Amino acid sequence: MPQNEVVEGLGLDQYKYHFITEDEPVFRSGRGLNEKVVREISAQKDEPQWMLDFRLKALKIYNAKPMPTWGGDLSNLEAVLDQIYFYVRPQEKMERSWDDVPANIKDTFEKLGIPEAEQKILAGVGAQYESEMVYHSLKEEWDAKGVIFDSIEDGLKNHPELFREHFGTVIPSADNKFAAMNSAVWSGGSFVYIPKGVELDTPLQAYFRVNQEQMGQFERTLIIADEGAKAHYIEGCTAPVYSTESFHSGVIEIIVKAGAHFRYTTIQNWSNNMYNLVTQRALVHEHATMEWLDGNLGSKLTMKYPSCFLVGEGAHGSVLSIAYSGDGQHQDTGGKVVHAAPNTSSQIISKSISKGTGRSTYRGLCKVYEGSVNSRSNVECDALLIHPTSRTDTYPYIEIEEKQANVGHEATVSKVGDEQLFYLMSRGMSEEEAMAMIVRGFIEPIAKLLPLEYAVELNRLIELEMEGSVG
Amino acid sequence: MSVTTPGLAEGVTEQINREAVEALAAEEPGWLRERRLEAWSVYESTPIPSKKLEEWRYTDLSKKLSLDELSLLPWAERQFSEANAPSELRSAMASDRAASGHLVELDGSVARVDLQDELASKGVLLTSIRSAVQSHPDLVEELLATEAVPAESGKFQALNAALWTDGILLHVPRGVRMELPIRVSRWISEAGRALFSRTLIVADEGSRVSFVDEVLSPDFTRQTFVSSAVEVFARNGAQVQFVSLQRLGRGAFHLSQQRTLADNDSTLDTLNVSLGGSVARIDLNAELRGAGANSDMLGLYFGEEDQHFDHNTRQDHRAPHTKSDLLYKGALDGRARAVFRGIIKVHRGAQQTDAYQTNRNLLLSNEARADSLPNLEIEADDVRCSHGATVGQLDQDHLFYLMSRGLPRAQAERLVVMGFLGEVLSRLPLGGVVEKVSSIIEDRLRA
Amino acid sequence: MSEIPILEVKNLHAKVADEDTEILRGVDLTLAKGEIHAIMGPNGSGKSTLAKIVAGHPAYEPTEGQVRYLGQDVLELDPDERARLGIFLAFQYPVEIPGVSIANFMRTAMQAHLDEGEELDLFDFQDQLLERMELLDMDPSFAERHVNDGFSGGEKKRNEILQMAVLRPKLAVMDETDSGLDIDALQVVANGVKKLHAEDPEMTVLIITHYQRLLNYIQPDHVHVMVGGRIVRSGGPELAEELETEGYEQFRAPA
Repeated sequence: MPQNEVVEGLGLDQYKYHFITEDEPVFRSGRGLNEKVVREISAQKDEPQWMLDFRLKALKIYNAKPMPTWGGDLSNLEAVLDQIYFYVRPQEKMERSWDDVPANIKDTFEKLGIPEAEQKILAGVGAQYESEMVYHSLKEEWDAKGVIFDSIEDGLKNHPELFREHFGTVIPSADNKFAAMNSAVWSGGSFVYIPKGVELDTPLQAYFRVNQEQMGQFERTLIIADEGAKAHYIEGCTAPVYSTESFHSGVIEIIVKAGAHFRYTTIQNWSNNMYNLVTQRALVHEHATMEWLDGNLGSKLTMKYPSCFLVGEGAHGSVLSIAYSGDGQHQDTGGKVVHAAPNTSSQIISKSISKGTGRSTYRGLCKVYEGSVNSRSNVECDALLIHPTSRTDTYPYIEIEEKQANVGHEATVSKVGDEQLFYLMSRGMSEEEAMAMIVRGFIEPIAKLLPLEYAVELNRLIELEMEGSVG
Repeated sequence: MSVTTPGLAEGVTEQINREAVEALAAEEPGWLRERRLEAWSVYESTPIPSKKLEEWRYTDLSKKLSLDELSLLPWAERQFSEANAPSELRSAMASDRAASGHLVELDGSVARVDLQDELASKGVLLTSIRSAVQSHPDLVEELLATEAVPAESGKFQALNAALWTDGILLHVPRGVRMELPIRVSRWISEAGRALFSRTLIVADEGSRVSFVDEVLSPDFTRQTFVSSAVEVFARNGAQVQFVSLQRLGRGAFHLSQQRTLADNDSTLDTLNVSLGGSVARIDLNAELRGAGANSDMLGLYFGEEDQHFDHNTRQDHRAPHTKSDLLYKGALDGRARAVFRGIIKVHRGAQQTDAYQTNRNLLLSNEARADSLPNLEIEADDVRCSHGATVGQLDQDHLFYLMSRGLPRAQAERLVVMGFLGEVLSRLPLGGVVEKVSSIIEDRLRA
Repeated sequence: MSEIPILEVKNLHAKVADEDTEILRGVDLTLAKGEIHAIMGPNGSGKSTLAKIVAGHPAYEPTEGQVRYLGQDVLELDPDERARLGIFLAFQYPVEIPGVSIANFMRTAMQAHLDEGEELDLFDFQDQLLERMELLDMDPSFAERHVNDGFSGGEKKRNEILQMAVLRPKLAVMDETDSGLDIDALQVVANGVKKLHAEDPEMTVLIITHYQRLLNYIQPDHVHVMVGGRIVRSGGPELAEELETEGYEQFRAPA
C-alpha cells in the first residue's frame, strides 16, 4: 500500500494500516524474555528500586505459571515469544508538541488521523509507538483543573505516592500468566487521574501503534477517577501486516471511586498477525459506574474479558462488546462482573459476527457473593454467522451465592436471513448493501453508544468487511 | 422379601478391584469377560476427574466421594414380594399400576419382571440384563457399553462397565406402539456399598415406548454409591420417552450417566427428576445423529439441607434438520447447591438445526447456591439456537398478588414454587409421573 | 392497446426452488398503466407465489413463460434491480430488521434508487419523509423505530404503505395486505393506497387477496380469479362480489 495514502478517520477504517515506517530505534532489547531484558527496561526508564523488584518478582510468577489451556490456540505462542523483541525504544524522550516528534513517527500518526481528531473532538491525546509513549498532551483547561493525563512512566516519576498507592492493586501480577508478563516488562501506557467532581466533556484518547516486525507491546495503564468525577477514555490500536506474529499484552487498572462515572472504550484493530492478550479490570466503589465498551475487530487471536468488581454498595458495571472475526481470526472475548456489595447492578451485552472461517467466542462470568443483596445482573449475547464455515461459541459462567439476587443470561445465534435480504433488496438495495445494513442493525445497540465519529467509522468498517461476503 | 446370598466365590473380596471384576465375569461368555476387563483397565488408567476439568468444576470428587471406603455388593438371587417390601417402595409402586410392564431391582439384582402378554407376543422384550446375556447374547453384545456409554467415555463409565451386576433390557420391535409405560422400581437398602446397574433401551423403527425408572432408598448413615449407565437407542421414526425419578435417601451419591442416540425422524425425549441423595450427578449426552431427529430434554430438581445436584448435559447435533429443546428448572432451599452445565454443539453440516437450552433456578434460602454454565458451540450457520439461564428468588410481585387475594405467605410461596417447577412437568405429561412428583415436592415444601 | 403494458405475464409456470411441484401452471395477465387489478383465489392457488415472482423472490423458480415489465423481461433481474425499475411488493409478512431505523432504511433505499454518483440530499429526504408520513397520518416518531421490530400486525402493514409512499413505485403489488388486520387497520391501509393512487394516477396496483373486504375500500378496475395456478376467470368489480356470495367452489377444476 502506498506510503502517501491519505487515511481518513480515527483508525477504524478497513485494514488500510499496513504501512511500514522506516526508522532506526534508539534502543532495542534482544529477542525473548529473560531477566536481562527486564533489568534493561527498568534501567532505560531509570526506575526506583521498588519497581525493579516488582518486575523481577513478576517475571518469576510468569515463569512459574503454565500457558492457559482454554481460550484460543496458544500452542505456537512460546515459539513466537522467543522471537519477539520485548522492548523497542523509538526516540529519546516523549514530546508535548507534535512538532517535536520525529518526522517519520509524526507522519505515522497523521496517517492515522490522530492530530486531526485531537483538534476536533478530544480533551487529550497520548500516542505510543513501539514500546514508548512518543507524545502526550492534555488541553490547557483540564490541566488547570488538576486532571493528570500522562505517560505511565511520567506518572511514576511525577506522582510517586498516588502511583504506588494504586499500581498493581486492581490486577496483581499473579492474576494470570499474561498479567505477570506485563508486570515484568510493561512499557508505555497512560497514567490518568481525574480529581474529585471534575467532569470531562470530551474523551481522552490513547493510540497504540506497533511498527516493527516481531515486536511485543506491553502498555500499562492506571486510571483513578476520584469521587464524583466523570470521564471517557478511548484507546485505538493498529499495526502493519507481517508474515510473522507480533504480540500485544496490556494491563489496564481502573479505580472508580464513590459516585464517579468512567467509560473505557477500546477499538482494537490490530493487523491479523497479532496475538492480543489483555487484562482489563475496574474496581467500582459506592454508587460509581464503570462502563467498558469493547470493540474487537482485528488481531489473529484476542483473549480479553473486561471486568468490573463491584465493591461498593450501589455500584454499577457494564460491559458492551462487539467482536468481528473474519477469515482465520479468533475473538475470544466477553466480560466479567463480580458483585461483592449490596444493591449492585451489572449488564453485559455482547454482539459477535463471524465471517468466512472466523470464530467468535463469548466467555463471561457473573458472580454474586453472599451478602450482595438486591444485586441484579443481565447478560445478553447474540452471535451472527455469515457463512457455513463460520463458528461461534458461548461460555458463560454464572455463580450465585445470594438468594436476593436476580441474574439472567440469554444468548442467541442466527444467520442473516434470506427473507431479510430479500426484503431489503426488494426495496432496491444490492445484496451487499443489504447484508451490511443487517449487520449494522445487529451492532446498532452498542455502536450508538460510541461518539458519533467513531460510530460512523465503525459502520464504514463493517461495510468494507462485508464486501465480497455474498455470492 | 427373601434374599438368597450365595457364598462369595473363592478369592473374592468385596473390594473394588480387578479380582472383583474377574469374579463377576467368571461364568460369563468370553466377549463379556473381555469387555469387563478392558473396562477395568480403562478405569485404572484414567485419573479421578478433578475440579480442573470443566465438567467437574463445581463438584469436588475428592471431597464428595470416597470410593476406598465402599464395598461391592455381589449379585444375588432375590425374590420380590409386595407384602414384605419396604413401605417407601410399596407406596412408590402403588401409583404405578397402569403399566405395560414392571421390573423391580433390589440392591443391584433384578428380582421381578412382568410384561403384558399381548406385548410379549408381539416380541417386546423386558428382562434383566444378566439373563439377557444368556437369552439374547447378540443384542447385548452389540449394544451393551459399546456405542452409547462405553468404558472409554470416562472413569466412572468404565467402572460401571467393569462392575455392573445387573440391569434392565427393553427391546421394542419394529412398529410396536406401547400405550402404557414400562415402570421400573429400583430399591437400594445396604449402606456403605457401591452398586452398579445398567439400562439398555432399544426402540426399533417406528415403535413407541415410555419408560419410567424410579430409584429409591432409605437415608444412609454411611455413603452409598449408586451408579447407573443408561443407553437409549431410537431407530428411524421411533418415539421414546425416558423418565428418571431419583428419590434416594441422604447419604447416597447418585451418578447417572446417560446417552441417547436418535436416528432419522425419531423422537427421543428425556425427563430427569432429582429429589433425593446427598450428591446427584447426571451426565446426559443426547446425540441427534439422524436427519429430522428431535429431543426434548427436561430436568427438574428440588434441593434442601446440604444436597448437591450437578447436571451436565450435551445436545449433540450431528445431522441436519434436527431439533433439541432443553429445559432444566430447580428450586433450592437450605444450603443446597445446584450446578447446571449444558452445551449445545452443532457440528459442521448440521444445517437447519433448532437447538434451545434454558436453565432456571429459584433460590429459596440465603445459603442456597446455583451455578449455571449454558454453553454453545456452533459450527453451522443455518441454525436457530438460543440459550438462557436465570437465578433469582421468588417473585415478590407474584407473592404479593396471591397474598392480596388472601393466601398465607407459606401457601403463596408453595404455589409459586409449584408453578415454577410445574412448567417442566407439563411438557411431558406422562400418566402418574406428574402427580407423583408434584405431591413429593409439595410435601417437602410443607415440611 | 398501443401503449406498452406495465406488466405482462405470459404462460408463467413456476415452482418452489428446491421442490418439483408446480405452483403456477400457465398464468396470463396484463396490467395497463394506472389500472387497479385484484387477484383473488383460495389458499394455495398460487396468487402469493405470483406476487413474489414478480418481485424476484429467490425461493421461487419460474420454469416457463415470461414476466415483462414495461416491455422488458425481468425474470433474470435481481430483486433490487426490479425495485429500482419501479416494482414494489408490499409483503404479506414484513420482515423484522432489528437495529435499523425506518428513516435509515428509507434513506438507504432512496439512495439506491438514484443513479451512480448521485447523492441523496439529506434535507430533501427528511422533508419528503415527513411529508409522506403526514399524507398517511403517521406520527413522525414512527420513522425512528426499528424496521418492523416489535410492531403489531397493523403497524407492519402501515410501514409497508409508508415505504410505498416514499419509493413511489410504478407498479405496486399488495400481497395479502389485508390479512390479519382489524377493520380500523384495514381502512388505514386502504386509504393510504387510495391517496397514493390519487396522487399518481399512473401508478398501477395489483392487489392479491383471499377476501373481498379490502375491495370494499379500493375499487378495482379488473378482478381475476386464480385457482390451481391459473387465472380461471377475469371480469369487473362485480366478480369480487360474486365470489363473496358464491365462494371459489364453482372454479375448482375437477380432479
